[in-house]
Amino acid sequence: MKNKRPLSQLILGDRGFKYQLIAPSIFILLLIGIFPLIYTLLVSFQGITMMDNDTSFHGLQNYTALGTDTRLWEALMHTIIFTCIALPIELLLGLLMAQLFIDKLPGRQIFIALLVLPVVVAPVVSGATWSLLLDTRFGPINQILGWFTGEEVTLLWTINPDLVYPSILAAEIWQWTPFMFLLLLAALSAVDKSQLEAASIDGAGYWTTFFKIVLPAIWPVMAVAILIRGLDLFRLFDIVWALTRGGPGTMTETISIFTYVKGFQQFETSYTGAVALLIIILLSVLVIGALKKVEIAR
Amino acid sequence: MKTSHRKKIKLALRYIAVVALTILFLFPIYWLFMISFKTANEIYAYPPVWWPETLQLSNYRVLFEDGDAATVGNSLIVAGVSTIFAMILGTICAYSLARFKTGGEHLANWIISQRMIPPIAIVFPVFLLYVWFGMVDTYFGLILLYTAFNLPYVIWMMRGYIMDIPISLEQAALVDGYTRWQVVWKVVFPMCRAGLFATAIFTFVFAWNDFIFALVLTRTDVATYTVQVTHYFGGQSNFWGKISAMSVLGTLPIFFIVAFMQKYLVRGISLGAVKG
Amino acid sequence: MHAVKGVDLEIPKGEFTVLVGQSGCGKSTLLRTIAGLEEIDEGSIEIDGEVVNDVAPKDRDIAMVFQNYALYPYMTVFDNIAFGLRARKTPKVEIEEKVAEASRMLSIDHLLERYPRQLSGGQLQRVAIGRAIVRQARIYLFDEPLSNLDAQLRDEMRGEIKRLHRELGKTMIYVTHDQIEAMTMADRIVLLRDGKIEQQGSPLDLYERPATKYVAGFLGSPSMNFIDGMVTENKVTINNSNHSLDIPEQIKNKLTSHANKAIIVGIRPEHFSRADIANHQQYSKLSVNIELVQPTGSRSYVTFRLGQNPAVAELRPQDLLGHNTTIELSVDMSRVIYIDPITEMTI
Repeated sequence: MKNKRPLSQLILGDRGFKYQLIAPSIFILLLIGIFPLIYTLLVSFQGITMMDNDTSFHGLQNYTALGTDTRLWEALMHTIIFTCIALPIELLLGLLMAQLFIDKLPGRQIFIALLVLPVVVAPVVSGATWSLLLDTRFGPINQILGWFTGEEVTLLWTINPDLVYPSILAAEIWQWTPFMFLLLLAALSAVDKSQLEAASIDGAGYWTTFFKIVLPAIWPVMAVAILIRGLDLFRLFDIVWALTRGGPGTMTETISIFTYVKGFQQFETSYTGAVALLIIILLSVLVIGALKKVEIAR
Repeated sequence: MKTSHRKKIKLALRYIAVVALTILFLFPIYWLFMISFKTANEIYAYPPVWWPETLQLSNYRVLFEDGDAATVGNSLIVAGVSTIFAMILGTICAYSLARFKTGGEHLANWIISQRMIPPIAIVFPVFLLYVWFGMVDTYFGLILLYTAFNLPYVIWMMRGYIMDIPISLEQAALVDGYTRWQVVWKVVFPMCRAGLFATAIFTFVFAWNDFIFALVLTRTDVATYTVQVTHYFGGQSNFWGKISAMSVLGTLPIFFIVAFMQKYLVRGISLGAVKG
Repeated sequence: MHAVKGVDLEIPKGEFTVLVGQSGCGKSTLLRTIAGLEEIDEGSIEIDGEVVNDVAPKDRDIAMVFQNYALYPYMTVFDNIAFGLRARKTPKVEIEEKVAEASRMLSIDHLLERYPRQLSGGQLQRVAIGRAIVRQARIYLFDEPLSNLDAQLRDEMRGEIKRLHRELGKTMIYVTHDQIEAMTMADRIVLLRDGKIEQQGSPLDLYERPATKYVAGFLGSPSMNFIDGMVTENKVTINNSNHSLDIPEQIKNKLTSHANKAIIVGIRPEHFSRADIANHQQYSKLSVNIELVQPTGSRSYVTFRLGQNPAVAELRPQDLLGHNTTIELSVDMSRVIYIDPITEMTI
């Protein structure tokens, strides 16, 4: 179907058109993004708790309570610990794996397809699977360990305070290292081969080439990967929920689990509102800070 | 040592490492699948059984009989519809941002920042709102949320893909007499097919695998399979048969998608990093 | 599928050798094999008498300039040039001296603190060359270094590289697909075709005494005219026309085996002249219809037909004054080459 368009319209373009395109998306984003936030802000200034549907203005009461809530800050610390351990390990392992795949390898595609599978499993399922693997009596992990030590191993992976962190980290790293692997493989493949050849002719050894040429070249992708996974780790919920529910006690409670418990089990609605907003502010600061760093680096 | 010999040894070592890694990473999945086929006796056998006597489907049968398997259907509806919405709305929005730079840097940055908010901080306010409007445990409510949460990702990715398409194709179509809407549907969408696929897969998988949104916003009607799995976690006795069978039911579709779309998935992740 | 097969090549020390040929002929592969970047399936490479098949590139004492420069984008020009020296643990003072000298030679000493992304194509190429010469290796390899530059820069850089060779006196092996580069720069040309050496020798050797039709047609711009004809008593009659060429005395013996058989005659555009002012010792005259004239200012190229074959003659612009449709041309028969149509080799 061809219309004859006046030349003037061709040149000026459809000014309303571009707004029509973004309208539905912006509408939905505002609906889900902004309005609930405003509502939460209001609620956070009220006094709604499990017992009390008190909608009167309580001022900054909930916010000051944030400062003294040790469980909150512990949850934050747990989250940071998880992030700071898992992220470097995933990065390093992913890089090592990518190095393995960089040169020709028969059956490459198949191996990559297989290695991607952990990434597409639901994190909840990942947690559930690992709780099966780590079961004290019926899980293969203890069984395999038993082969090495020669005697029966009955480690309580999801209950023993010394073991819960490794358990959760195992599930998390298992699931997300392949993601890093894929990203870094793509980045490594994109490195200009002739630069590497020039370096080999120039006489550079393996490590010199890696640190001076490869690393700077893949850094942009690495930075994005760190940002994405860092953010994801901050929201850690599913895997922990499936393995320990945040326990024992509140030992592995992440900030997301803490918020969930406060809001949907203890029904401290107004207080949770304040917590939610705190999280948003905290995260915004971190992200803006990180983005600024990336900008400066460029 | 001759270079060719050295190379062969290196290749052999690399191969061993690759195979070992693959086995390591696939083992948990193997275990999960395997448990779902075991009888209760085998599951709770000590020492653990690595290969079931027979592959029996009683665990699955139970799920279907109890109607629990329907939750996979819920996942399909919710993830599928929200993906379609997000892809359509997001791509046209991306087109506007790519070609007209609508809203400039500020709009683009605001959109991407929406994706960075932790789900818990989103789901709580949304929950309050939904309670008010009676939208908890409804398809519409969950679809709306998934669409909204995925839009920033879709917009961001498709914007990048669209910017890679030469604008001359659209200009030629305009000169030929197509309206701007026609240009979008008939020229732009087909041209960025690869990007559409990759992004759609990601969006779908994200919604499919989500737990926390579904946990908060569903009760009995719209429970997705992820929520259903956690229902079988008990205090003392976990219904492992059900847990694993339900997990497999929810994971198998994704595996099929990955198997068929493997090329797009890998390209999607790698391009995503480059564009991000 | 081998890229290069059965190549037996000796490259003299200190000479500027050019490996030339069409895309895919194996010239780059050959160069990279010398560098150690590609493996040899069969045969051996010797440098200065030493077999280097299994020696790593960095131990072969060679330097290479890449087509896309292959400069390290995250280092300054200075660091790029110094990279190889640093890798070999050269003392700092020596590094500074050598980099200064190399960059002065290439007129880039004012760019040492810049980054590659800030430089133009020509400057980037100089840096790449600088990185190569600073190490004072025994062999320098160039892999189509000028292909990414525009025509004017290319002309300039050709001269620079030739000058460098004169100053440094090292063995240089240069790969290109451009026959003009080959002709102007080489001490020795190796023309490759489909992974084999078609002919090697000095540029003038290959130009005036090509061994095959391929070589004859490859060098020279515009390329040589190939005319189909038949050998009769003392002449070559041109197929599908009234024209014939007189065979000079000294050639007659060589063509006896081709009597009454088909032949291909090769005439370069510059071997035509306007008949009335030509002063060829041995000549044939042809009267032709002008189909197209392409003037370049200093020369005019006239397209006409000899039988079924299109042909181009190179004349001076003034030769065409007054000649619009026909012209009488003289062919310098002492320069004409004869090609066997079946073997495609010159006789």
